[in-house]
Amino acid sequence: MTKVVRMVAEILAGNCTGCALCVYVCPTVALTLRDRRPDEAGTHRRIAELAEADCYNAQNCMEICPDEAIVMHHLAEPFTVGTDVATADADAVRALCRSAGIGSKQLICMCAETTGGELAAAVLAGAHTPEAISLATGARTGCTELCHQPIIQLLAAAGHGDLPRNPPRGFQWYGLAARALDLVADDGTVAPELVEAYSQYPLVSDLRAMRGDFSEFEPAEVADD
Amino acid sequence: MTDLLLPPMTPPALMRTWTGREPASAVRMRAAELPGMVALPVRAIDPALPQPIWASDASLGPTDDGEVRRTTRARLHDADWSRITPGSTVDLIANPHGFFLCGLAYVAMLEETQRHLVATRDCTVRLRVAESMGHIENPDWMRIFDLPGRFGDAKECPQIGRGVEIDTRVGPFWLTRDLFTADHFVHTHVAEMREGYLHRMIDRLHKPFGMGYTRLETRSAYHFGWGPRTGQLVARAVFESDFVQQRYAGTVVLDTTPEGVIGVDADVDLDELNDRVSAGVLRHYGTLMRLMAEIDDVIVVFDGHGCHMYSYAGGVAFDCLMYAQVDFLDLDNLALLKGFASKVPATPGLTMEFNPAIKAQIMNYMSGGVPYTMMTRRLPTWLVDGPAAEWMMDDPSSPWLAERAAIAPDLAAAVAAARAQTGTDHVIVFDSLAGALHVSEPLGRLLLERAPAVAAHVRDTALPKWLAQRRLH
Repeated sequence: MTKVVRMVAEILAGNCTGCALCVYVCPTVALTLRDRRPDEAGTHRRIAELAEADCYNAQNCMEICPDEAIVMHHLAEPFTVGTDVATADADAVRALCRSAGIGSKQLICMCAETTGGELAAAVLAGAHTPEAISLATGARTGCTELCHQPIIQLLAAAGHGDLPRNPPRGFQWYGLAARALDLVADDGTVAPELVEAYSQYPLVSDLRAMRGDFSEFEPAEVADD
Repeated sequence: MTDLLLPPMTPPALMRTWTGREPASAVRMRAAELPGMVALPVRAIDPALPQPIWASDASLGPTDDGEVRRTTRARLHDADWSRITPGSTVDLIANPHGFFLCGLAYVAMLEETQRHLVATRDCTVRLRVAESMGHIENPDWMRIFDLPGRFGDAKECPQIGRGVEIDTRVGPFWLTRDLFTADHFVHTHVAEMREGYLHRMIDRLHKPFGMGYTRLETRSAYHFGWGPRTGQLVARAVFESDFVQQRYAGTVVLDTTPEGVIGVDADVDLDELNDRVSAGVLRHYGTLMRLMAEIDDVIVVFDGHGCHMYSYAGGVAFDCLMYAQVDFLDLDNLALLKGFASKVPATPGLTMEFNPAIKAQIMNYMSGGVPYTMMTRRLPTWLVDGPAAEWMMDDPSSPWLAERAAIAPDLAAAVAAARAQTGTDHVIVFDSLAGALHVSEPLGRLLLERAPAVAAHVRDTALPKWLAQRRLH
């Protein structure tokens, strides 16, 4: 799917102090700081500037701004963004998704309704950072939360897991958080001390299910994706 | 109307949001005012509920916070706060759900906690509100309850803010840095049944350590990176980390039923506290939750604060109806949430999907910030013409709503259209009213008819199993 973008941010020059918080949280890195022009309202030397075409209405900037210096306004013409999975090599898409542990048809971004395959297609087309994936697909520009980890997983699986943050002091993303499947050793077992430490959780049973083995519950065929 | 079905009650007022919107003036008619609506008291469904010490409506219990304050003081006095060293700083961590569900009772608990710690530990206590998705559409709790005026140093800390990476036994996670900058912190919670399909009532009180107090990375990993019954392992691992344990001072919790607050508890031992509270939560919410599974067809009307699955009716969240077809409290059930799984079993019943009994949805007013529009692909959806519809269509988390929802001229027309299309006269309203469900009379009768058998099943079969699975009594 694609994302329909109906609104974009607007900087209120008189309120902006150039604190850069909006720059640090924008998932498409649409905001930067520049020197304030003499004809602009406000007193601080620096001011935020928006690359409007890269603003996908995530509203993180408005939320983080401590000075009420950002408002959203409607676009005269909404636009859509997205990556068509059909433009990528289907085998490569499936292989990348499999390597990342996500389904190619699985819905990853619940806001833009972007599938794992669409995200993988964007990576294969050259989107090698979270922000580039967001710009290509619209994913991670709604709640900016739920799809975070699978996107980082995809990038890591494609060899782009050790990225410098953008901007360097920003925190629109940090890195890959711990996953249950990381607890599974190469021989398919889980360390007994972990099983014991978390004995109130059906860890081994859940890990089997996460790997597609549902035989414990019902001997049945497994449908991938 | 039977004597157990009452005339509609007054739903909680719509409040000014963080962005300055005024839904009260944008919504022309509340759903409780629709012809044929009744109030079904939760107590008629589960007469064994303990009496509340605080309720949002005077017909359900006391609305003054006196007993909450007295009980809080007593529990704080009995708890061990010796981890807090004199002269130190303490972050008292609150959450927006507490303000939303328990209003002034939650504020009272927080105020008494601050006073007690300042008086007995000679420390400085600051309020830190751990924000979540949908923050910008939440009621503006800082202003509504004058939190800076009450607490002095009070600050909202969104999950998109600067993070801090911590090591845990299972790997790295990121927390919201601004919640943990003091020498110590006090964890607060409300023991209600929100997101039961995720936490599965395992380590219930630990959940904010895997979600509410964390950054985007951790929250996403909780959803996508862990199993259907092991998501809470994230919360436990974070809670047990050196970073958290070096700062943790204790927990204070409001104990609730679908009617309101029934008590306050406090302890430095979170496991002990969780065990004390969890059995009651299962006992007090179980019947109403399982009763939701008795509904075969229904039109849902959203008419309050909270976004979609976080909207409330009768004291329980919409997710209890949304996933009612599976008893996710039974840990023998895999209840794999299909939306977060890359591999799903072919066998019906092992996965959890959007409840097919929900035939249509109408959004009279609802906050934004949480994605739900994937459900509008197959679910007939109506908005009510006016500013609130515009706000919902502009929500960044719901970009396809405008294309998929029909716009009705008013709420009554929306309900009439939904009834005509679905053929059902069952309507349930999620308007944040605690203690009673606003439903159409036929649905009220159905629920009353089914309630005794459901209550008996929960009491005799389900509850003993739920408790045993969690080593609770």
